[in-house]
Amino acid sequence: MSEAKRLHPVSVIFTTLQSLRQIIFGILPIAILAIGDGMFLYLSLGLVVILLLVIGFSVLTWMRYTYRVEEDQLRIEHGVFIRKKRTISKHRIQSIDLSQNIIHRVFGLTKVQIETAGSDHKIDAALHAVTMEEGKYLHDQLKYKKEAVTAESDNKEEKIHYPQRKVEVKELLIAGSTSASFGFIIGLVALGITELESFIPDSFYNQATSWVVNQAIEMLIFMALLFFILLWGLGILVTLIQYWNFTITRYEKELFITRGLLEKKQMTIPLKRIQAVGIKETILRQPLGFATVYVEIASGEVSKNADVKTLLFPLMRKKEINSFLEKILSEYVLPEDNFTPLPKRALPYYLFRAGVVPFIASIVVAFSAIDWIGIPLIATGLALILGYFQFKSTGYHLDGKQLVVQARLVNKDTTLLKHHRLQSFAVKAHFLHRYQQLASVDTAILSKLAGRHMIIKEMDAESASKLLEWYSYES
Amino acid sequence: MRKAPSERIATDAIKAWQVLAIIFTVIPLLAAIALYVLAYFFEFSYWFAIGVTAFTILEGVISILIIPKLRWRRWRYQIYDQEIYIQHGILIVTRTIVPMIRVQHVDTQQGPILKKYKLASLTISTAATTHEIPALLEEEASALRDQISELARVEQDDV
Repeated sequence: MSEAKRLHPVSVIFTTLQSLRQIIFGILPIAILAIGDGMFLYLSLGLVVILLLVIGFSVLTWMRYTYRVEEDQLRIEHGVFIRKKRTISKHRIQSIDLSQNIIHRVFGLTKVQIETAGSDHKIDAALHAVTMEEGKYLHDQLKYKKEAVTAESDNKEEKIHYPQRKVEVKELLIAGSTSASFGFIIGLVALGITELESFIPDSFYNQATSWVVNQAIEMLIFMALLFFILLWGLGILVTLIQYWNFTITRYEKELFITRGLLEKKQMTIPLKRIQAVGIKETILRQPLGFATVYVEIASGEVSKNADVKTLLFPLMRKKEINSFLEKILSEYVLPEDNFTPLPKRALPYYLFRAGVVPFIASIVVAFSAIDWIGIPLIATGLALILGYFQFKSTGYHLDGKQLVVQARLVNKDTTLLKHHRLQSFAVKAHFLHRYQQLASVDTAILSKLAGRHMIIKEMDAESASKLLEWYSYES
Repeated sequence: MRKAPSERIATDAIKAWQVLAIIFTVIPLLAAIALYVLAYFFEFSYWFAIGVTAFTILEGVISILIIPKLRWRRWRYQIYDQEIYIQHGILIVTRTIVPMIRVQHVDTQQGPILKKYKLASLTISTAATTHEIPALLEEEASALRDQISELARVEQDDV
């Protein structure tokens, strides 16, 4: 195919809506002022002119936007005043996503989003509206290699041939109700209701308590509670909508994901582009035995919502992950719980790092407002407990070409790394470390934000040099 | 434990770092002089000025006389066919391996101070990290740059 094509005319609507959204904030204050002054006629006239301009511009944009597939490249020409041409080589495409929002679905269209490895979002290409057929055709054309056939073309055969895993509604409900925001809320509410009273010093109470204030506080707590419950429900709803029918299919050289209730999204991840596999257990999900599986791929898009990582699966039982990986991504193996732990002498470092800030705060409070000493002391205690668990969670497992690093900041994160995906490897030790035979290991992989560092702090110096030896290409 | 890398960086690096340190010492020195002048005209205690002077002297001695030598002594590197091995750091000793197939590009750089001593720095970038060898002889730096880019020119199947 070499002739240039335009997007579907509906994309004019998208561009118009987008530009209107952008200028509305500029116009609004002027409009409000104008209404106040009784210049309603001029105002509506101005608005109509602006609307016409925007629509005209959108039509021009649409006219100028052409794309074509040429051998191994996608060529896009666009721009009204400044004309731009862009060529994206097929071999550099990290992933191709098809997504449909409600307008798309009414017209039977799809948005095609093409991600490359650059760190600049603008480098990526997005075709706002093409017909479903065209979208699938592009998807097949631009895929890294042409082996696999896309879904749905011969649905029945694929279901037999290619391993697949679909999310259950139960899993989604659990995912929604244990999402990060909810954990925060639970903590706040629990603290607020049961403990707050005992922390407020008597002197404060004596000064401030009167019947009215008491009533007001109770009312406030009730309102806050209601608000939190609402938020929680909303969180569950959002999760359900986002990950509805989440299905992952393994083809020979790529993973294919579909999801979404209102906005259907499809995503293709070429296996070659996967830099690492991660398993995240948030502090709420870990006791329940649930975890999230995600992959690191190098793509330019820095998503607005940190939650929308390149998920392989929104939530599943930790026990199940092994068989899931075996089925879907057998290149990576999650070891059973035999991680090499840190040596005991590393513990003080972890406790110190976690506890030092709240401890200093405690000292400050002790001198300035001794009545409130309870709060920073509790914080110090919690931080020390966290430090201890950080120490307990940290470990590594080496098996052939795969290194598995387990670490915890607050949530436990297990990362499966391949030798040839690591960009560099460093062993660090300061003078106390050297005296104690300890060393920190720092390795980096390519990720959404240019690079992600995996750091194991204070491991046994000998193991650290063994890891360095393992990484070396010379030995 | 793997042996430290074999090559040292240029000896003149010490001089270059010292020049840089002297330039940075001028700032607290000027502050100290200003304090003396102000104390004279506005008649407040000279102790502030004396404190800053003491600090300047201490900082100068450490950053000019001690740190550059220690830093030079620790800095080592070695270029293998398949990897670059670097060791540096005074308090925190870091040993880094950068595989050749991960190298994206190599730069040499030269500021005015390095130029005076006919030195240049070499920066090695992978897709996720950058690594610098701070002071090499000019010819050595450009030879290394070419050597690394030659060695790094292996078929890369992906990023």
